[in-house]
Amino acid sequence: MNKKLLRALAIPVSAVIGLAGLTACSTAGGDSGSSGPVKLTFVNWDNGMDVVVAAWNKANPNIQVKLIKPSGTGYTLYNKLITDTKAGTNPDVAEIEYPAIPLMISNKVIVPIDKYISSLDNYSKNVLNRVQFEGKTYGVPQNICPLVFFYRKDIFDAAGITKPPATWDEFAADAAIIHSANPKQYISNFDANSPEWFSGLSEQAGGNWWSASGSTWSVNIDDAATQKVASYWQGLLDKDLVAPGPSWSTQWNTDMNTGNIVGWISGQWAPNQLPSIAPDTAGKWAAAAVPAWTAGDKKIGTWGGEVEGVTANSKHPAEAAKFVNWMNNSQEGLNLLIKNVQVFPASAKYQSLPALSTPPPFMSTQPDYNTLMAQLASNVTGFDIWGPNANITFNTYSDAFGKAVTNKTSFLDALKTVQDTTVADMKKSGYTVK
Amino acid sequence: MAIALTAEGSPPASRRSRRRRPALPVLLVAPAVILLLLFTFAPAVYAFVLSLLKNHVSGGLLGTSNEQVFAGIENYIATLTDSEFWGSLGRMLLVAAVGVPTVLILATVFALCLDANRARLTGFSRLAIFLPYAVPGVIASLLWGFLYLPATSPIGGQFVDYFGNTTIFFAVANVAVWGVLGFNMVVLYTALKSIPRELFDAAQIDGASELQLALRIKLPMIAPAMTMVALFSVIGALQLFNEPTTLKPLTNAISSTWVPLMRVYTDSFVNNDIYGGAASAFTLLVMTVGVTVLVNVVGTRLSNRSSR
Repeated sequence: MNKKLLRALAIPVSAVIGLAGLTACSTAGGDSGSSGPVKLTFVNWDNGMDVVVAAWNKANPNIQVKLIKPSGTGYTLYNKLITDTKAGTNPDVAEIEYPAIPLMISNKVIVPIDKYISSLDNYSKNVLNRVQFEGKTYGVPQNICPLVFFYRKDIFDAAGITKPPATWDEFAADAAIIHSANPKQYISNFDANSPEWFSGLSEQAGGNWWSASGSTWSVNIDDAATQKVASYWQGLLDKDLVAPGPSWSTQWNTDMNTGNIVGWISGQWAPNQLPSIAPDTAGKWAAAAVPAWTAGDKKIGTWGGEVEGVTANSKHPAEAAKFVNWMNNSQEGLNLLIKNVQVFPASAKYQSLPALSTPPPFMSTQPDYNTLMAQLASNVTGFDIWGPNANITFNTYSDAFGKAVTNKTSFLDALKTVQDTTVADMKKSGYTVK
Repeated sequence: MAIALTAEGSPPASRRSRRRRPALPVLLVAPAVILLLLFTFAPAVYAFVLSLLKNHVSGGLLGTSNEQVFAGIENYIATLTDSEFWGSLGRMLLVAAVGVPTVLILATVFALCLDANRARLTGFSRLAIFLPYAVPGVIASLLWGFLYLPATSPIGGQFVDYFGNTTIFFAVANVAVWGVLGFNMVVLYTALKSIPRELFDAAQIDGASELQLALRIKLPMIAPAMTMVALFSVIGALQLFNEPTTLKPLTNAISSTWVPLMRVYTDSFVNNDIYGGAASAFTLLVMTVGVTVLVNVVGTRLSNRSSR
């Protein structure tokens, strides 16, 4: 009887095992291969990266890189990397934006690469601060992405605005001119869905959300500078001078393409994305410095900017670091990145490469685009450090400000929610917070 | 869980005196029981274990050494004292309050209409009403999203804000209603078809109109089926996730913790607090089982009374 029972059980059990086999999907990056070329996997969402990777593969038959497009960008990817790192299935190299690096370190997703790369002397202290923590380097910085104000020059001209707003007061005045000339049109939207848009504006205003001394954190997300930014945008929304919807939504894409939203405070990388957001508007945009709080103040925040990190799951960290260093810190790699991914190099040494003399295709009417970027990049300012739980800060920003926009409640309360949630989570996890 | 309860409640009667028989029932229920244990009970137990743990970091500024420590009921306290948890339950109940009665009423009306003597084109109509059920929830939500957004709306999105702080509940409920209506309509229609036709003949000879027939004969006869439809809809509402998650990027009105399951997802995979997520999930599981039992008991009572 026992045998019979066993046999009977064998059928469903094998079926179950079969099912389990189906759910276990991707394998860990790279082979532990004995001979033959080292195989690396590289996750990156930028358009045009395939060309860069192909060039590397051609020149390096012994280290073959396979590019993977993630299903989601930014924090969708980072959260997946954090989850997968426990399963050991992460790719060897991952695109990680500066704000997420402390998060990736505290979750052991990426490893220091000091022993694999020779020197990063050509980077400024300001840039290295974003990748070096407690004496270790966690990636080779690729680019620097100052905030840039993109605007529809044709529509500004038609409304009689001859030059882009130099101060936030002028921005508000221009917003009123544009909206009254055509009630359908807005100078911009308030983007409750893009926390780094808001943190970039806070950086410019002098905010310093996180700082650290020793192993003690200070969290000041609702500092005076950030409160000023929040109140300013609430003022614009209250007067119906900016659109309330989030960016990258169907609505926003359509409004950008049809000219209902005529400006975008974005990052240096926008010309890489605009062709898919507003394909009909190529050549009609101009880029300018983001308005300042006081005339003549050149300080500017950033949105994005990335390193390529080597993951803890990688079996070939040395080769991975070699690839990363070639791509982000060599003339050859950067020339390819500039041409195909419209990158603006993080290292001043490469900020005058000949490839930068041509603007990104979408900005073809602005030949000095990269000169502007170089000038903005030299004035970049930022928080001391990004928090180890910036993911929670960012998610809370979207929830709290989204709610405040929908219910027309106070942005300052929303900001307080972001601060409190961030601190509570840090304390709960065991960080020392002053 | 409804399935789980019934399967568990009927253990095979084993009679040792007869030698050949006991293997067969065991064998027959084995596949279902094993799958159930592996894919329902084991994850639930694992979630319960996780919910009693937490992550604790130490070692330097970035806490590069982190370990799982026992948290006791800390995560449960955090869940139950979090106003966002109750807020998400409240929003889910609002959607359910709009959606469940709508499904019940529309499904009943459609089923009765299709079953009416004078109905024409029933085959086509039945298919037409059933068809939205065949559209995956995510696709349906995307399509409705386009219908709602001013930029693409053919149904007056330019004049009505479908994503306002009140309208959003109707907007989400609407997507969900069309997703489940067809299925529930077919359940009720099948129940109607199984009523003996003689009853209708008798009623008509007694002079009952079509309307009286529907209200006095058909409706009471399908009451048990309606109870089931209500139960399905309530459970469906508890599981609300696809629709608001898909609509989220389109609007500020839906937060990442808009309904309880979204909160579980956000805790686990956005905030990387798998332990807190497990605690919320387990709390919800207990609530869901509770509500299921409650609806079942009340529904059975009601249908018993009305069939008397």
